[in-house]
Amino acid sequence: MSSETKDRIKRLLVQNVLKNMAETDIRDDSSLIDLGVGLDSVATLKLVVALEEEFQISIDEGEITSEILESVNSIQSFLAGKSEDIY
Amino acid sequence: MNTVPELFISAVNAFSDSEAVIEDARRVTYAGLGRLVNKFSSYLTSLGIGPGDRVLILLPNSIEFVTAFFGVASVGAVSVPVSTAFKKQEIQFYIDHSGATLVLTDGVFAELLKDSASESAAPIRVVKGGSADWHKCEDSASDTAVIDPEDEVIYLYSTGSTGKPKRVARTHKNLIALADNHTRTVGWDENDRVLFTVPISHTYGLGNFISSIKIGAAIVTQGEFNRRKVLEQIEKESVTVFPAVPVMLDALSRTRLEYPGDLSSLKLVISAGAPLPEPTFRSFHSKFGIYPRQLYGSTETGVISINLGGSIEKRFGSVGRPVKNVDVRVLDDKGGEVISGEVGEITVKSPSMTRGYYGLPEETSEVFKNGYYFTGDLGRIDPDGYIYIVGRKKLFINISGNKVDPGEVENVLTSHPLVSEAAVLGMNDEKGNELVKAVLVTEGEVKTGEIIEYCRDRLAGYKVPRIIEFTDELPRSPSGKVLRERLK
Repeated sequence: MSSETKDRIKRLLVQNVLKNMAETDIRDDSSLIDLGVGLDSVATLKLVVALEEEFQISIDEGEITSEILESVNSIQSFLAGKSEDIY
Repeated sequence: MNTVPELFISAVNAFSDSEAVIEDARRVTYAGLGRLVNKFSSYLTSLGIGPGDRVLILLPNSIEFVTAFFGVASVGAVSVPVSTAFKKQEIQFYIDHSGATLVLTDGVFAELLKDSASESAAPIRVVKGGSADWHKCEDSASDTAVIDPEDEVIYLYSTGSTGKPKRVARTHKNLIALADNHTRTVGWDENDRVLFTVPISHTYGLGNFISSIKIGAAIVTQGEFNRRKVLEQIEKESVTVFPAVPVMLDALSRTRLEYPGDLSSLKLVISAGAPLPEPTFRSFHSKFGIYPRQLYGSTETGVISINLGGSIEKRFGSVGRPVKNVDVRVLDDKGGEVISGEVGEITVKSPSMTRGYYGLPEETSEVFKNGYYFTGDLGRIDPDGYIYIVGRKKLFINISGNKVDPGEVENVLTSHPLVSEAAVLGMNDEKGNELVKAVLVTEGEVKTGEIIEYCRDRLAGYKVPRIIEFTDELPRSPSGKVLRERLK
Protein backbone atom coordinates (compact mmCIF):
# COMPACT_ATOMS: atom_id res chain seq x y z
CA MET A 1 0.00 0.00 0.00
CA SER A 2 1.33 3.40 -0.94
CA SER A 3 2.57 5.64 1.83
CA GLU A 4 1.86 8.61 -0.40
CA THR A 5 -1.85 7.72 -0.37
CA LYS A 6 -1.78 7.48 3.39
CA ASP A 7 -0.08 10.85 3.65
CA ARG A 8 -2.80 12.40 1.49
CA ILE A 9 -5.48 10.83 3.66
CA LYS A 10 -3.80 12.18 6.79
CA ARG A 11 -3.63 15.65 5.29
CA LEU A 12 -7.34 15.59 4.53
CA LEU A 13 -8.13 14.32 8.02
CA VAL A 14 -6.22 17.21 9.56
CA GLN A 15 -7.75 19.76 7.20
CA ASN A 16 -11.33 18.59 7.64
CA VAL A 17 -11.76 16.82 10.96
CA LEU A 18 -8.69 16.51 13.19
CA LYS A 19 -7.94 20.19 13.46
CA ASN A 20 -6.11 19.50 16.67
CA MET A 21 -3.40 17.42 15.19
CA ALA A 22 -0.43 17.40 12.91
CA GLU A 23 -0.28 14.81 10.14
CA THR A 24 2.82 13.34 11.73
CA ASP A 25 0.82 12.64 14.90
CA ILE A 26 -1.50 10.25 13.10
CA ARG A 27 -0.24 6.68 12.83
CA ASP A 28 -1.50 4.47 10.05
CA ASP A 29 -3.27 2.29 12.58
CA SER A 30 -4.37 5.01 15.05
CA SER A 31 -7.98 4.64 16.08
CA LEU A 32 -9.55 7.59 14.27
CA ILE A 33 -12.84 7.13 16.13
CA ASP A 34 -11.00 7.78 19.40
CA LEU A 35 -9.54 10.92 17.87
CA GLY A 36 -12.97 12.24 16.95
CA VAL A 37 -13.51 11.09 13.37
CA GLY A 38 -17.06 10.09 12.54
CA LEU A 39 -18.58 11.90 15.51
CA ASP A 40 -21.08 13.81 13.48
CA SER A 41 -22.52 13.48 10.05
CA VAL A 42 -21.55 16.97 8.89
CA ALA A 43 -17.84 16.47 9.54
CA THR A 44 -18.02 13.04 7.91
CA LEU A 45 -19.73 14.50 4.87
CA LYS A 46 -17.03 17.15 4.53
CA LEU A 47 -14.36 14.44 4.73
CA VAL A 48 -16.13 12.39 2.07
CA VAL A 49 -16.31 15.37 -0.30
CA ALA A 50 -12.64 16.11 0.33
CA LEU A 51 -11.67 12.49 -0.40
CA GLU A 52 -13.68 12.59 -3.61
CA GLU A 53 -11.95 15.73 -4.81
CA GLU A 54 -8.49 14.57 -3.77
CA PHE A 55 -8.71 11.14 -5.34
CA GLN A 56 -11.10 12.01 -8.19
CA ILE A 57 -13.60 9.30 -7.31
CA SER A 58 -17.27 9.24 -6.40
CA ILE A 59 -18.22 8.07 -2.89
CA ASP A 60 -21.74 7.53 -1.60
CA GLU A 61 -21.68 8.71 2.01
CA GLY A 62 -24.10 5.90 2.76
CA GLU A 63 -21.20 3.49 2.15
CA ILE A 64 -19.12 5.03 4.92
CA THR A 65 -19.22 2.87 8.03
CA SER A 66 -17.40 3.13 11.33
CA GLU A 67 -15.23 0.23 10.14
CA ILE A 68 -14.05 2.25 7.16
CA LEU A 69 -13.25 5.24 9.35
CA GLU A 70 -11.44 3.09 11.91
CA SER A 71 -7.92 4.01 10.73
CA VAL A 72 -5.90 5.48 7.90
CA ASN A 73 -5.25 1.90 6.77
CA SER A 74 -8.96 1.12 6.56
CA ILE A 75 -9.71 4.33 4.67
CA GLN A 76 -6.94 3.49 2.23
CA SER A 77 -8.30 -0.01 1.70
CA PHE A 78 -11.73 1.43 1.02
CA LEU A 79 -10.38 3.93 -1.50
CA ALA A 80 -8.28 1.28 -3.20
CA GLY A 81 -11.44 -0.69 -3.74
CA LYS A 82 -12.98 2.29 -5.51
CA SER A 83 -10.25 2.86 -8.04
CA GLU A 84 -7.37 0.97 -9.58
CA ASP A 85 -5.35 4.16 -9.45
CA ILE A 86 -5.33 4.18 -5.67
CA TYR A 87 -3.10 1.75 -3.85
CA MET B 1 -58.71 28.51 11.43
CA ASN B 2 -57.33 29.39 14.82
CA THR B 3 -55.70 26.23 16.16
CA VAL B 4 -53.31 23.59 14.87
CA PRO B 5 -55.97 20.83 14.90
CA GLU B 6 -58.27 23.13 12.89
CA LEU B 7 -55.46 23.77 10.40
CA PHE B 8 -54.92 20.03 10.11
CA ILE B 9 -58.61 19.11 9.75
CA SER B 10 -59.03 21.86 7.17
CA ALA B 11 -56.19 20.36 5.13
CA VAL B 12 -57.58 16.83 5.50
CA ASN B 13 -60.96 17.98 4.21
CA ALA B 14 -59.66 20.20 1.42
CA PHE B 15 -56.96 17.87 0.11
CA SER B 16 -58.21 14.46 1.16
CA ASP B 17 -57.04 12.55 -1.91
CA SER B 18 -53.71 14.36 -2.24
CA GLU B 19 -50.52 12.83 -0.95
CA ALA B 20 -49.63 14.16 2.48
CA VAL B 21 -46.49 12.32 3.56
CA ILE B 22 -44.10 10.08 1.67
CA GLU B 23 -41.51 8.09 3.61
CA ASP B 24 -39.52 5.70 1.43
CA ALA B 25 -42.02 3.18 0.11
CA ARG B 26 -44.80 4.33 2.44
CA ARG B 27 -47.29 6.94 1.34
CA VAL B 28 -50.33 8.40 2.99
CA THR B 29 -52.93 10.81 1.67
CA TYR B 30 -54.38 13.63 3.73
CA ALA B 31 -57.45 11.50 4.34
CA GLY B 32 -55.26 8.60 5.44
CA LEU B 33 -53.22 10.88 7.66
CA GLY B 34 -56.44 12.12 9.20
CA ARG B 35 -57.37 8.55 10.13
CA LEU B 36 -53.90 7.91 11.57
CA VAL B 37 -54.13 11.04 13.70
CA ASN B 38 -57.55 9.97 14.98
CA LYS B 39 -56.10 6.63 16.05
CA PHE B 40 -53.10 8.31 17.61
CA SER B 41 -55.32 10.70 19.54
CA SER B 42 -57.24 7.72 20.92
CA TYR B 43 -53.94 6.12 21.84
CA LEU B 44 -52.77 9.22 23.70
CA THR B 45 -56.09 9.51 25.51
CA SER B 46 -55.81 5.86 26.57
CA LEU B 47 -52.43 6.74 28.09
CA GLY B 48 -54.00 9.55 30.08
CA ILE B 49 -52.57 12.38 27.97
CA GLY B 50 -54.76 15.45 27.89
CA PRO B 51 -54.76 19.23 27.72
CA GLY B 52 -51.56 20.85 28.90
CA ASP B 53 -49.57 17.62 29.15
CA ARG B 54 -46.12 17.63 27.58
CA VAL B 55 -45.13 14.87 25.19
CA LEU B 56 -41.52 14.47 24.07
CA ILE B 57 -41.24 13.39 20.43
CA LEU B 58 -37.91 11.74 19.65
CA LEU B 59 -38.39 10.60 16.07
CA PRO B 60 -36.79 11.18 12.69
CA ASN B 61 -38.73 12.88 9.91
CA SER B 62 -41.41 10.29 9.26
CA ILE B 63 -45.11 9.55 8.94
CA GLU B 64 -45.04 8.77 12.67
CA PHE B 65 -43.52 12.17 13.53
CA VAL B 66 -46.25 13.99 11.61
CA THR B 67 -48.94 11.76 13.10
CA ALA B 68 -47.61 12.21 16.62
CA PHE B 69 -47.38 15.98 16.31
CA PHE B 70 -51.00 16.40 15.19
CA GLY B 71 -52.20 13.70 17.55
CA VAL B 72 -50.65 15.50 20.50
CA ALA B 73 -52.10 18.82 19.33
CA SER B 74 -55.55 17.26 18.91
CA VAL B 75 -55.76 16.21 22.56
CA GLY B 76 -54.64 19.68 23.65
CA ALA B 77 -51.20 18.55 24.77
CA VAL B 78 -47.83 20.15 23.97
CA SER B 79 -45.23 18.58 21.67
CA VAL B 80 -41.60 18.72 22.68
CA PRO B 81 -39.71 17.56 19.58
CA VAL B 82 -36.02 16.88 20.11
CA SER B 83 -33.18 16.03 17.78
CA THR B 84 -32.29 12.42 17.14
CA ALA B 85 -28.64 13.52 17.24
CA PHE B 86 -28.85 14.00 21.00
CA LYS B 87 -27.29 11.68 23.53
CA LYS B 88 -29.02 10.23 26.58
CA GLN B 89 -27.88 12.98 28.96
CA GLU B 90 -29.14 15.69 26.62
CA ILE B 91 -32.49 13.96 26.07
CA GLN B 92 -32.81 13.57 29.82
CA PHE B 93 -32.49 17.35 30.21
CA TYR B 94 -35.35 17.97 27.80
CA ILE B 95 -37.57 15.39 29.47
CA ASP B 96 -36.97 16.92 32.90
CA HIS B 97 -37.05 20.57 31.90
CA SER B 98 -40.18 20.33 29.77
CA GLY B 99 -42.04 18.33 32.38
CA ALA B 100 -42.81 15.68 29.78
CA THR B 101 -45.05 12.88 31.00
CA LEU B 102 -44.63 10.71 27.92
CA VAL B 103 -41.84 9.99 25.46
CA LEU B 104 -42.70 8.86 21.92
CA THR B 105 -39.84 7.29 20.04
CA ASP B 106 -38.57 4.30 18.07
CA GLY B 107 -37.01 1.07 19.23
CA VAL B 108 -33.42 2.28 19.07
CA PHE B 109 -33.96 5.26 21.34
CA ALA B 110 -36.26 3.31 23.61
CA GLU B 111 -33.35 0.97 24.29
CA LEU B 112 -31.02 3.92 24.88
CA LEU B 113 -33.38 5.53 27.37
CA LYS B 114 -34.31 2.33 29.17
CA ASP B 115 -33.73 2.52 32.91
CA SER B 116 -33.18 6.27 32.71
CA ALA B 117 -33.97 8.34 35.78
CA SER B 118 -37.07 9.89 34.27
CA GLU B 119 -38.70 6.72 32.99
CA SER B 120 -41.22 6.54 35.81
CA ALA B 121 -42.31 10.15 35.31
CA ALA B 122 -42.21 9.97 31.52
CA PRO B 123 -42.84 6.44 30.26
CA ILE B 124 -41.36 5.59 26.91
CA ARG B 125 -43.60 4.32 24.14
CA VAL B 126 -42.36 2.97 20.84
CA VAL B 127 -44.56 4.41 18.10
CA LYS B 128 -42.41 3.69 15.08
CA GLY B 129 -41.29 0.31 13.94
CA GLY B 130 -42.39 -3.25 14.42
CA SER B 131 -43.22 -3.09 18.09
CA ALA B 132 -45.45 0.00 17.85
CA ASP B 133 -49.00 -0.86 18.91
CA TRP B 134 -50.93 2.38 18.57
CA HIS B 135 -52.23 1.22 15.19
CA LYS B 136 -54.58 -1.12 17.04
CA CYS B 137 -56.44 1.82 18.55
CA GLU B 138 -59.86 2.72 17.26
CA ASP B 139 -60.10 5.19 14.45
CA SER B 140 -62.83 6.95 16.33
CA ALA B 141 -63.65 10.29 14.81
CA SER B 142 -62.96 11.80 18.15
CA ASP B 143 -63.69 15.36 18.93
CA THR B 144 -60.60 17.38 19.53
CA ALA B 145 -60.07 18.85 22.94
CA VAL B 146 -61.35 22.32 23.65
CA ILE B 147 -58.39 24.47 22.75
CA ASP B 148 -57.83 28.17 23.06
CA PRO B 149 -55.61 29.65 20.33
CA GLU B 150 -53.45 31.12 23.10
CA ASP B 151 -52.75 27.65 24.50
CA GLU B 152 -49.24 26.32 24.06
CA VAL B 153 -48.82 23.71 21.32
CA ILE B 154 -45.07 23.20 21.09
CA TYR B 155 -41.90 23.71 23.08
CA LEU B 156 -38.70 24.33 21.20
CA TYR B 157 -35.39 25.06 22.82
CA SER B 158 -33.15 27.93 21.92
CA THR B 159 -29.42 27.63 22.27
CA GLY B 160 -28.02 30.32 24.47
CA SER B 161 -24.76 30.97 26.18
CA THR B 162 -25.84 30.30 29.74
CA GLY B 163 -25.07 26.61 29.74
CA LYS B 164 -28.62 25.37 29.35
CA PRO B 165 -31.01 25.59 26.42
CA LYS B 166 -33.89 28.01 26.92
CA ARG B 167 -37.46 26.82 26.54
CA VAL B 168 -39.47 28.65 23.93
CA ALA B 169 -43.19 27.97 23.94
CA ARG B 170 -45.25 28.70 20.86
CA THR B 171 -49.02 28.81 20.91
CA HIS B 172 -51.57 27.56 18.40
CA LYS B 173 -52.00 31.16 17.33
CA ASN B 174 -48.24 31.52 16.80
CA LEU B 175 -48.06 28.48 14.50
CA ILE B 176 -51.16 29.46 12.54
CA ALA B 177 -49.60 32.89 11.99
CA LEU B 178 -46.29 31.31 11.00
CA ALA B 179 -47.94 29.10 8.40
CA ASP B 180 -49.98 32.00 7.11
CA ASN B 181 -47.04 34.43 6.90
CA HIS B 182 -44.79 31.93 5.20
CA THR B 183 -47.22 30.54 2.64
CA ARG B 184 -48.59 33.94 1.67
CA THR B 185 -45.05 35.18 1.07
CA VAL B 186 -43.65 32.18 -0.77
CA GLY B 187 -46.77 31.41 -2.77
CA TRP B 188 -46.87 27.64 -2.29
CA ASP B 189 -49.95 25.62 -3.18
CA GLU B 190 -51.27 22.06 -3.08
CA ASN B 191 -49.20 21.12 -6.10
CA ASP B 192 -45.97 21.66 -4.23
CA ARG B 193 -43.89 18.78 -2.94
CA VAL B 194 -41.39 19.62 -0.22
CA LEU B 195 -38.34 17.47 0.56
CA PHE B 196 -37.52 17.34 4.27
CA THR B 197 -34.02 16.25 5.03
CA VAL B 198 -33.67 19.11 7.54
CA PRO B 199 -35.24 17.89 10.78
CA ILE B 200 -38.84 18.89 11.42
CA SER B 201 -37.93 18.95 15.13
CA HIS B 202 -35.91 22.11 14.49
CA THR B 203 -37.54 25.52 14.01
CA TYR B 204 -36.43 25.73 10.37
CA GLY B 205 -37.95 22.39 9.44
CA LEU B 206 -41.00 23.04 11.63
CA GLY B 207 -41.90 26.27 9.86
CA ASN B 208 -41.70 24.68 6.43
CA PHE B 209 -43.60 21.64 7.71
CA ILE B 210 -46.58 23.49 9.18
CA SER B 211 -46.73 25.66 6.07
CA SER B 212 -46.75 22.59 3.83
CA ILE B 213 -49.69 21.08 5.72
CA LYS B 214 -51.64 24.33 5.60
CA ILE B 215 -51.62 24.46 1.81
CA GLY B 216 -51.91 20.73 1.20
CA ALA B 217 -48.42 20.20 -0.16
CA ALA B 218 -46.80 16.77 -0.10
CA ILE B 219 -44.13 16.21 2.53
CA VAL B 220 -41.35 13.95 1.24
CA THR B 221 -39.31 12.83 4.21
CA GLN B 222 -35.75 11.66 4.24
CA GLY B 223 -33.53 10.48 7.04
CA GLU B 224 -29.91 11.46 7.20
CA PHE B 225 -28.71 13.61 4.32
CA ASN B 226 -27.34 11.63 1.40
CA ARG B 227 -26.54 13.31 -1.88
CA ARG B 228 -27.62 10.47 -4.12
CA LYS B 229 -30.85 9.97 -2.22
CA VAL B 230 -31.65 13.67 -2.35
CA LEU B 231 -31.20 13.78 -6.10
CA GLU B 232 -33.12 10.55 -6.59
CA GLN B 233 -35.97 11.80 -4.41
CA ILE B 234 -36.16 15.12 -6.21
CA GLU B 235 -36.60 13.31 -9.51
CA LYS B 236 -38.75 10.40 -8.34
CA GLU B 237 -41.14 12.50 -6.26
CA SER B 238 -41.03 15.59 -8.51
CA VAL B 239 -39.95 17.67 -5.56
CA THR B 240 -40.59 21.38 -6.07
CA VAL B 241 -39.14 22.79 -2.85
CA PHE B 242 -35.92 21.79 -1.09
CA PRO B 243 -35.13 23.47 2.26
CA ALA B 244 -31.45 22.90 2.99
CA VAL B 245 -28.48 24.20 4.91
CA PRO B 246 -25.29 25.50 3.24
CA VAL B 247 -23.20 22.41 4.00
CA MET B 248 -25.71 20.25 2.10
CA LEU B 249 -25.75 22.60 -0.86
CA ASP B 250 -21.97 22.72 -0.87
CA ALA B 251 -21.71 18.93 -0.82
CA LEU B 252 -24.25 18.65 -3.65
CA SER B 253 -22.53 21.23 -5.77
CA ARG B 254 -19.15 19.56 -5.34
CA THR B 255 -20.34 16.01 -5.70
CA ARG B 256 -18.61 13.88 -8.29
CA LEU B 257 -21.72 11.75 -8.44
CA GLU B 258 -22.94 11.78 -12.00
CA TYR B 259 -26.69 12.07 -11.78
CA PRO B 260 -28.31 12.16 -15.18
CA GLY B 261 -31.84 12.41 -13.82
CA ASP B 262 -34.42 15.08 -14.41
CA LEU B 263 -34.42 17.69 -11.66
CA SER B 264 -36.55 20.19 -13.55
CA SER B 265 -39.38 19.93 -10.99
CA LEU B 266 -37.31 21.92 -8.51
CA LYS B 267 -38.48 25.52 -8.34
CA LEU B 268 -37.23 26.68 -4.94
CA VAL B 269 -34.09 25.77 -3.00
CA ILE B 270 -33.90 27.40 0.42
CA SER B 271 -30.72 27.93 2.40
CA ALA B 272 -30.86 28.72 6.11
CA GLY B 273 -29.13 28.06 9.41
CA ALA B 274 -25.81 29.59 8.48
CA PRO B 275 -24.56 32.15 5.95
CA LEU B 276 -24.50 30.90 2.37
CA PRO B 277 -20.97 31.29 0.98
CA GLU B 278 -20.77 32.86 -2.46
CA PRO B 279 -18.79 29.95 -4.00
CA THR B 280 -21.55 27.56 -2.91
CA PHE B 281 -24.26 29.88 -4.27
CA ARG B 282 -22.58 30.02 -7.66
CA SER B 283 -21.44 26.41 -7.93
CA PHE B 284 -24.89 25.12 -6.98
CA HIS B 285 -26.46 27.22 -9.70
CA SER B 286 -23.80 26.18 -12.17
CA LYS B 287 -24.48 22.49 -11.49
CA PHE B 288 -28.24 22.49 -11.06
CA GLY B 289 -29.47 25.62 -12.81
CA ILE B 290 -31.27 27.03 -9.79
CA TYR B 291 -30.18 29.66 -7.29
CA PRO B 292 -30.45 28.86 -3.56
CA ARG B 293 -32.48 31.51 -1.72
CA GLN B 294 -31.52 32.46 1.81
CA LEU B 295 -34.08 32.39 4.59
CA TYR B 296 -33.65 33.88 8.05
CA GLY B 297 -35.47 32.88 11.17
CA SER B 298 -35.06 31.98 14.81
CA THR B 299 -36.45 29.58 17.37
CA GLU B 300 -38.00 32.56 19.13
CA THR B 301 -39.84 33.94 16.11
CA GLY B 302 -40.05 31.38 13.36
CA VAL B 303 -39.39 32.61 9.84
CA ILE B 304 -38.38 36.27 9.64
CA SER B 305 -37.44 36.83 6.02
CA ILE B 306 -36.70 35.10 2.73
CA ASN B 307 -34.87 36.29 -0.36
CA LEU B 308 -37.23 35.78 -3.27
CA GLY B 309 -36.41 38.94 -5.09
CA GLY B 310 -35.03 39.50 -8.52
CA SER B 311 -31.40 40.48 -8.96
CA ILE B 312 -30.49 37.40 -6.93
CA GLU B 313 -27.05 37.36 -8.53
CA LYS B 314 -26.23 40.67 -6.89
CA ARG B 315 -28.27 40.16 -3.75
CA PHE B 316 -27.42 36.53 -3.02
CA GLY B 317 -25.87 37.55 0.32
CA SER B 318 -29.16 38.98 1.59
CA VAL B 319 -31.62 36.98 3.68
CA GLY B 320 -34.36 38.83 1.89
CA ARG B 321 -37.29 40.96 2.91
CA PRO B 322 -39.50 40.26 5.91
CA VAL B 323 -42.34 37.82 5.29
CA LYS B 324 -45.93 39.02 5.55
CA ASN B 325 -46.93 40.53 8.91
CA VAL B 326 -43.36 40.55 10.23
CA ASP B 327 -41.66 43.81 11.05
CA VAL B 328 -37.88 44.09 11.18
CA ARG B 329 -36.01 47.08 12.56
CA VAL B 330 -32.29 47.62 12.94
CA LEU B 331 -31.43 49.44 16.16
CA ASP B 332 -28.29 51.07 17.51
CA ASP B 333 -26.90 50.55 21.00
CA LYS B 334 -29.21 53.21 22.41
CA GLY B 335 -32.29 51.58 20.97
CA GLY B 336 -32.85 54.06 18.18
CA GLU B 337 -33.50 53.02 14.62
CA VAL B 338 -30.42 53.32 12.43
CA ILE B 339 -30.33 55.14 9.12
CA SER B 340 -31.01 52.88 6.14
CA GLY B 341 -27.94 50.86 5.30
CA GLU B 342 -26.24 51.32 8.66
CA VAL B 343 -25.38 48.34 10.80
CA GLY B 344 -27.15 47.68 14.07
CA GLU B 345 -28.93 44.91 15.95
CA ILE B 346 -31.76 43.19 14.10
CA THR B 347 -35.03 43.27 16.03
CA VAL B 348 -38.21 41.48 15.01
CA LYS B 349 -41.91 41.79 15.72
CA SER B 350 -43.95 38.83 14.56
CA PRO B 351 -47.31 37.26 15.39
CA SER B 352 -45.55 33.89 15.38
CA MET B 353 -43.07 34.78 18.08
CA THR B 354 -42.92 33.45 21.60
CA ARG B 355 -43.77 35.51 24.67
CA GLY B 356 -40.45 34.71 26.28
CA TYR B 357 -38.24 32.10 27.89
CA TYR B 358 -39.77 29.83 30.48
CA GLY B 359 -38.46 30.47 33.97
CA LEU B 360 -35.97 33.12 32.84
CA PRO B 361 -37.53 36.54 33.46
CA GLU B 362 -34.22 38.36 33.34
CA GLU B 363 -33.10 36.87 30.04
CA THR B 364 -36.59 37.42 28.68
CA SER B 365 -36.64 41.10 29.58
CA GLU B 366 -33.19 41.52 28.04
CA VAL B 367 -34.23 40.35 24.59
CA PHE B 368 -38.00 40.95 24.43
CA LYS B 369 -38.58 44.69 24.63
CA ASN B 370 -41.52 46.82 23.50
CA GLY B 371 -42.98 43.94 21.51
CA TYR B 372 -39.75 43.25 19.64
CA TYR B 373 -37.34 40.35 19.90
CA PHE B 374 -33.71 41.45 19.93
CA THR B 375 -32.03 38.75 17.88
CA GLY B 376 -28.42 39.43 18.83
CA ASP B 377 -27.61 39.41 15.11
CA LEU B 378 -25.96 42.44 13.60
CA GLY B 379 -27.19 43.51 10.22
CA ARG B 380 -28.36 46.24 7.91
CA ILE B 381 -31.28 46.83 5.60
CA ASP B 382 -30.66 48.27 2.13
CA PRO B 383 -32.86 50.97 0.58
CA ASP B 384 -35.03 48.28 -1.06
CA GLY B 385 -35.72 46.59 2.25
CA TYR B 386 -33.35 43.64 1.86
CA ILE B 387 -31.76 42.42 5.09
CA TYR B 388 -28.08 41.51 5.34
CA ILE B 389 -26.64 39.71 8.37
CA VAL B 390 -23.11 40.95 9.03
CA GLY B 391 -22.23 39.59 12.45
CA ARG B 392 -23.39 38.40 15.81
CA LYS B 393 -23.55 39.83 19.32
CA LYS B 394 -24.55 36.54 20.88
CA LEU B 395 -22.04 34.07 22.17
CA PHE B 396 -22.88 30.83 20.43
CA ILE B 397 -21.07 28.73 17.86
CA ASN B 398 -22.70 27.86 14.56
CA ILE B 399 -21.67 24.45 13.29
CA SER B 400 -23.19 24.21 9.83
CA GLY B 401 -26.56 25.42 11.07
CA ASN B 402 -26.47 23.65 14.42
CA LYS B 403 -26.07 26.14 17.28
CA VAL B 404 -23.73 25.23 20.10
CA ASP B 405 -23.87 26.87 23.51
CA PRO B 406 -20.29 27.20 24.79
CA GLY B 407 -21.61 27.11 28.34
CA GLU B 408 -23.25 23.74 27.80
CA VAL B 409 -20.02 22.23 26.49
CA GLU B 410 -18.06 23.84 29.35
CA ASN B 411 -20.42 22.27 31.87
CA VAL B 412 -19.82 18.85 30.38
CA LEU B 413 -16.06 19.36 30.30
CA THR B 414 -15.82 20.52 33.89
CA SER B 415 -17.85 17.54 35.00
CA HIS B 416 -14.83 15.40 34.02
CA PRO B 417 -13.03 14.52 37.27
CA LEU B 418 -9.68 15.86 36.05
CA VAL B 419 -10.87 19.08 34.36
CA SER B 420 -10.92 22.00 36.77
CA GLU B 421 -11.66 24.80 34.30
CA ALA B 422 -12.80 24.97 30.70
CA ALA B 423 -13.36 27.70 28.16
CA VAL B 424 -15.17 26.90 24.92
CA LEU B 425 -15.26 29.19 21.95
CA GLY B 426 -15.83 29.20 18.25
CA MET B 427 -13.10 29.81 15.80
CA ASN B 428 -12.88 29.72 12.04
CA ASP B 429 -10.69 27.35 10.10
CA GLU B 430 -8.88 28.37 6.92
CA LYS B 431 -12.06 27.81 4.90
CA GLY B 432 -14.12 30.03 7.16
CA ASN B 433 -16.01 27.17 8.82
CA GLU B 434 -16.70 27.59 12.51
CA LEU B 435 -15.26 24.99 14.86
CA VAL B 436 -15.69 24.25 18.55
CA LYS B 437 -12.48 24.84 20.47
CA ALA B 438 -11.93 23.97 24.11
CA VAL B 439 -9.11 25.19 26.31
CA LEU B 440 -8.73 23.21 29.52
CA VAL B 441 -7.04 23.46 32.87
CA THR B 442 -6.61 19.98 34.27
CA GLU B 443 -5.45 18.33 37.43
CA GLY B 444 -3.02 15.78 36.14
CA GLU B 445 -2.44 14.48 32.68
CA VAL B 446 -5.44 13.96 30.44
CA LYS B 447 -5.23 12.87 26.84
CA THR B 448 -7.16 14.57 24.07
CA GLY B 449 -8.75 11.26 23.10
CA GLU B 450 -10.10 10.81 26.59
CA ILE B 451 -11.72 14.23 26.51
CA ILE B 452 -13.25 13.53 23.10
CA GLU B 453 -14.64 10.21 24.27
CA TYR B 454 -16.04 11.80 27.42
CA CYS B 455 -17.79 14.48 25.38
CA ARG B 456 -18.95 12.01 22.74
CA ASP B 457 -20.85 10.05 25.37
CA ARG B 458 -22.63 13.16 26.62
CA LEU B 459 -23.09 15.52 23.69
CA ALA B 460 -24.41 15.43 20.16
CA GLY B 461 -21.50 14.95 17.77
CA TYR B 462 -21.50 18.50 16.40
CA LYS B 463 -20.98 19.90 19.91
CA VAL B 464 -17.83 17.90 20.64
CA PRO B 465 -14.73 20.14 20.51
CA ARG B 466 -12.63 19.73 17.38
CA ILE B 467 -9.67 21.59 18.86
CA ILE B 468 -8.57 20.88 22.39
CA GLU B 469 -5.73 22.73 24.09
CA PHE B 470 -4.39 22.54 27.59
CA THR B 471 -3.12 25.43 29.65
CA ASP B 472 -2.06 26.18 33.21
CA GLU B 473 -4.34 29.16 33.52
CA LEU B 474 -7.20 30.75 31.57
CA PRO B 475 -6.84 34.46 30.77
CA ARG B 476 -9.34 36.46 32.78
CA SER B 477 -10.41 40.07 33.17
CA PRO B 478 -10.14 41.83 36.55
CA SER B 479 -13.74 40.82 37.19
CA GLY B 480 -12.92 37.18 36.56
CA LYS B 481 -14.55 36.84 33.14
CA VAL B 482 -12.70 34.53 30.75
CA LEU B 483 -11.19 36.49 27.87
CA ARG B 484 -12.15 34.15 25.04
CA GLU B 485 -10.73 36.35 22.32
CA ARG B 486 -7.24 35.63 23.67
CA LEU B 487 -7.84 31.92 23.27
CA LYS B 488 -8.47 32.01 19.50
